[in-house]
Amino acid sequence: MENQPALRGALGLYTVIFITFLYAPFIVLAILSFQSGPEGGPQFPIIHWSIYWYKHLFGLTPPSRVAPLPIGDALIRSLILAFATMVTSTLLGTLTAQAFRRRFTGSGLVFYLVVLGMMVPGVLVGLGVALVSTYLGVDRSWWGTTFLVHVVYTFPFAFLVMLAVLNRFDRSVEEAAWALGVPPARTFRKITFPLIFPGVLSAMLFAFTLSYDEFPRTLFAAGGDLTLPLAIYGTFSVEIHPNIFAFGVLTTLFSFAILAVYGLLMAMSVRRARRVAIQEEIA
Amino acid sequence: MLEIRGVRKSYGAKRALDDVSLSVRPGEYLSLLGPSGSGKSTLLRIIAGFERADAGEIYLDGKPLTAKPVHERGVGFVSQGFALFPHLTVFDNVAFGLRFRQRNPVGAPAEVKRRVDEMLELVGLGELGGRQIAQLSGGQKQRVALARTLVVDPHICLLDEPLGALDANLRRRMTIELRRIHQRLGIIFIHVTGNEIEALAMGERVVVLDQGRVLQTDAPDTVYNRPASLQVARFLNRYNTFDQRDLDGAAAADGVSCIRRDLIEVREAGYRAAAPETLTTATFVTAEYSGSIIVYFFSLPSGKVVEVEYHLSHKRPAELREGSAYALVWRTDQAMVFGSPKIAA
Repeated sequence: MENQPALRGALGLYTVIFITFLYAPFIVLAILSFQSGPEGGPQFPIIHWSIYWYKHLFGLTPPSRVAPLPIGDALIRSLILAFATMVTSTLLGTLTAQAFRRRFTGSGLVFYLVVLGMMVPGVLVGLGVALVSTYLGVDRSWWGTTFLVHVVYTFPFAFLVMLAVLNRFDRSVEEAAWALGVPPARTFRKITFPLIFPGVLSAMLFAFTLSYDEFPRTLFAAGGDLTLPLAIYGTFSVEIHPNIFAFGVLTTLFSFAILAVYGLLMAMSVRRARRVAIQEEIA
Repeated sequence: MLEIRGVRKSYGAKRALDDVSLSVRPGEYLSLLGPSGSGKSTLLRIIAGFERADAGEIYLDGKPLTAKPVHERGVGFVSQGFALFPHLTVFDNVAFGLRFRQRNPVGAPAEVKRRVDEMLELVGLGELGGRQIAQLSGGQKQRVALARTLVVDPHICLLDEPLGALDANLRRRMTIELRRIHQRLGIIFIHVTGNEIEALAMGERVVVLDQGRVLQTDAPDTVYNRPASLQVARFLNRYNTFDQRDLDGAAAADGVSCIRRDLIEVREAGYRAAAPETLTTATFVTAEYSGSIIVYFFSLPSGKVVEVEYHLSHKRPAELREGSAYALVWRTDQAMVFGSPKIAA
């Protein structure tokens, strides 16, 4: 395949197109976020470049006809919710995957039930939770019903990640620790967990991002206090101004920052493992 | 003293261990020899507590072991792949058991350091405490695994094919090391291996296991010179086996005759056997020279290959013509006859 220039060209072109489709919408938004304000709208051409809408986000502009984005509280809520979901789902996912290392009775069935849960349409799950909570007389809230829905939604992802990680885990290392007189719980803390930590990071990243921009389930489960995606959607129904684009740029930069932290942590804990692998290849 | 009584273990329909009983003396170095699938590793894992026996009991110094979880047994285990903790240094690997074991953990850093250093010294890794596991060679990993196990003073040290992952040179050095360490500590070592030479070299006694059954438990020279059954003889890789139809005349009784390779003499065809000798006629195929030993390959009319070994320190190499017939002769009383011809392939 390496020596077929036509095919290589085609694949290269395909990759370029793919990347373009991936990033073009965001780049357009990013450009438009530098539209002048408050008179400039969410469309080309750029009247003149400015950071007006960024200032507007933080309330640094004189009052105008464009109201500030009502998303401050929603952002805080979404971050707290995503964090709590991440911790809970990763913990549950790790424990469940740990249980699956022993083929307990009915483990096959449980596995399929967990995974099939991922296939249920989100809107229906949200609606169902709303109906049940009304029936039970439980108030819907972002920290209650929504949290529950988010954990249910992200748990299978964390579980699958951890299952893959533990499948590759060398059991004899744990056995070695037990044989030294170290009880299983302590062995898990001191040996197993540090070794599967890169996998735990991945599971956490999945759970966090899935929860952070979850929309369909949250739509019905959230109650009065909105999460960030709902709040943003709410602003669309009035009139769209470039301040939403500015916010989009900032939140994306924030995500990149999180990814960078993740990458850094990952590199640190993988470097050692890679050294082992290389060493063994040489030996 | 380790007492194994009537241990059975099946995986589905496959029987891994079938009524295994063994008694290991205090301080003994025991070799457990068997082909892959013989159940030797399973037995070791049951003693360690990684697997549960379907039936049977194991007693350590008179106390039943079977119901105890792994971490309460005081049984050390060195696995084939060493199973070192890759995220810890050599020192921390060895210190791990001392620091975190349930019973009698050692908290004082000075005491941990003293005992770890002492053990690293014993296995010959004195200066390597600060190394990462990834920076070690295979032989060094082996020593770390050993030190890590021995530093917590186990009652027994189980070694699952401990030399399997090492190259030939290292293997020889480690056998010497292992014996030295065993002598220093005076605890029971059980050494599982599929290599008959290793088993004979290491063990004060050798247990031969096949298809989940103990075939023989004896001192190495007894196992080597007087294998208890045809399977043991086969497994030692040093014996030729003959059906009666392979032998000239009716020299032997019913059953399968086994004769060690180096006890056979090659004579010109037409040689007439004296009374206490057994003889068979075979065609010379080829020879294999390996320094102090030369092995001649013959084929019988039945197609079976016979190996004859000459130790060149006390025999001159024979001048043989490929494709010619020769008489293979041995003293009848040096052969063993086992009465189960159906096993002979």
